[in-house]
Amino acid sequence: MNLFCLGLNHETAPVEVREKYSIPMERLGERSRELATLDGVSEAVVISTCNRMEVYVAVMEDDVAGAELRVKESLGFDVSDRVHFYESKSTEAMKHLCRVVSGLDSMVLGETEIFGQVKKAYQYALEATATGGVLNKVFQKSFGVGKRVRTETMIQSGQTSVGSVALDLAEKIFSDLKDSTVMVIGAGEMSRITLQSMVLRGVKKVYVTNRSYDKAEALASEVGGEAVKFDEWSKVLGCVDVVISSTGATEPVVRVADIEAVRRLRKYRPLFMIDIAVPRDIEHAVGEIEEVYLYDLDTLQEQVDEGHARRQAEVSECEKIIDVEVEKITNQQRNDV
Amino acid sequence: MTLTLVIAAILAGLAGVIGVRSIVTDRKRTRWTILFMLLSFGAQLMWLGMRGEQRAGCPLLDAGEILVFLGWSLSLFYLVVGSAYRVTLLGMFSAPVVTVLLLAALLPGMLDVDPVPKENVDYWGEMHSAVSVLSYGALALGAISGVMFLVLDRLLKTRDMSSGLFKKMPPLDTLVGSVVRLTVIGVIFLTAGLGFGFMMESFSGGGSHFWVAALVWCAYALMLGVWFVRGMTPKKMSVFVVALFVVSLSVFAVL
Repeated sequence: MNLFCLGLNHETAPVEVREKYSIPMERLGERSRELATLDGVSEAVVISTCNRMEVYVAVMEDDVAGAELRVKESLGFDVSDRVHFYESKSTEAMKHLCRVVSGLDSMVLGETEIFGQVKKAYQYALEATATGGVLNKVFQKSFGVGKRVRTETMIQSGQTSVGSVALDLAEKIFSDLKDSTVMVIGAGEMSRITLQSMVLRGVKKVYVTNRSYDKAEALASEVGGEAVKFDEWSKVLGCVDVVISSTGATEPVVRVADIEAVRRLRKYRPLFMIDIAVPRDIEHAVGEIEEVYLYDLDTLQEQVDEGHARRQAEVSECEKIIDVEVEKITNQQRNDV
Repeated sequence: MTLTLVIAAILAGLAGVIGVRSIVTDRKRTRWTILFMLLSFGAQLMWLGMRGEQRAGCPLLDAGEILVFLGWSLSLFYLVVGSAYRVTLLGMFSAPVVTVLLLAALLPGMLDVDPVPKENVDYWGEMHSAVSVLSYGALALGAISGVMFLVLDRLLKTRDMSSGLFKKMPPLDTLVGSVVRLTVIGVIFLTAGLGFGFMMESFSGGGSHFWVAALVWCAYALMLGVWFVRGMTPKKMSVFVVALFVVSLSVFAVL
């Protein structure tokens, strides 16, 4: 029995090609079953996420080429898309799966979501009886390798997006965001992304203010918050813990005087301010107020770059673990035979 | 007996070293610090028990005994607060202080070589000494939390987020909570200690020890009053807690 992998991902294919081959999650089991019933194929697992579509099949040794061809046909493989696909066999396919599961092949290096996605895809295939002795062993081993890579290396260390750096900082100041109130000044895309990560952590209350009140209302309703008129935002400043500012203003929106006016009212509680606007929305001197922790886009971006660099430095260590583990699996398979 | 104290100091020292090492090497949270602090606490307790028997009362008669009692009290509050509020890093900061206190107690002249048993035990006096020193344990740990707050505040203000220390530090509001909580506990014990002092047979009032103790109490009460009523920046609160603790130690100098 031979292991064969065919796929495309964010590096090899543009989004329109990825869309073409994308398979909805609810159909993963069914598609795996369809592939597993092809002539010369005994087992199959289909993985489909927004960044990749991959199939892993166990093919009969006496008809490898034919089985591969039938898999491609079944996937609706278009010859013009050939350049976007990659293929690997046996040990290389196993190594590739381990790299995927470990997050080494992901758009955000070391991300953890892919582990769950692969596990789910395998689960669907298993439930659809599309897997057997070969793929069950291969996938279960790859999950073990993925876990080892994550626990023994720092591939998950550091943050890789401005939103997650801001979230980390917020949690370094306020232990539980469930007790925190957030105000967003400017309802742009950056504010929305940063706010959403905080909303996911269950912030107590969200205020949204924007020059155009309609936009403020739209974002507020999206996150279950409250819209505030732009000339009234300073009135709620007294009760907020986190301020995210990202307007298109050319002059500072938040000035030292605004903060000074509410310090007493806030009983000098810590205030975390994230200024992701260019030019900056918050006067630099605001950061000199004792209980204010002000971070601008450059500072957050520096952390993101550092996170990327730190993860990149771990890749060779991860590859070593994968090589050793795959070799162990291969030796074991040889002994079993 | 001295060996027990040496062992207690070594164990506290090891707790500190392990704590620092976990920060430097950027390893995951270690439980060894709390274990070594627990063992050191046990050794200190053993020493105080033996010394108490020799004194036939609370062993708080010479400078060495006060230092060991203070170290024990600090360890006690760390073990209660550190594990209950997941401020395990407090161990890295407290362990060196405990080590220094114990080593200072071992210096020649600090401990009476031949401790004389007390002839008349004034139970109010015993309670006054023990509860007052216990309050200093809580206040000392509050001051250590204050130092930790100041360190984290500095790291946040200078945007130094890549150090192991930054990652291991508990959140800022946890530290503020710890500073306030420990100071309140310390002041409650201090109030009780002062109350017991009034009941002492030997209390005559007006001595320098009494005035220094009363001033310390007033300063702590005023600071907490401002914090709860008017509000104060956490940084100022931490600076006051640290400064006040250092100043309050003068109460022992005028015993």
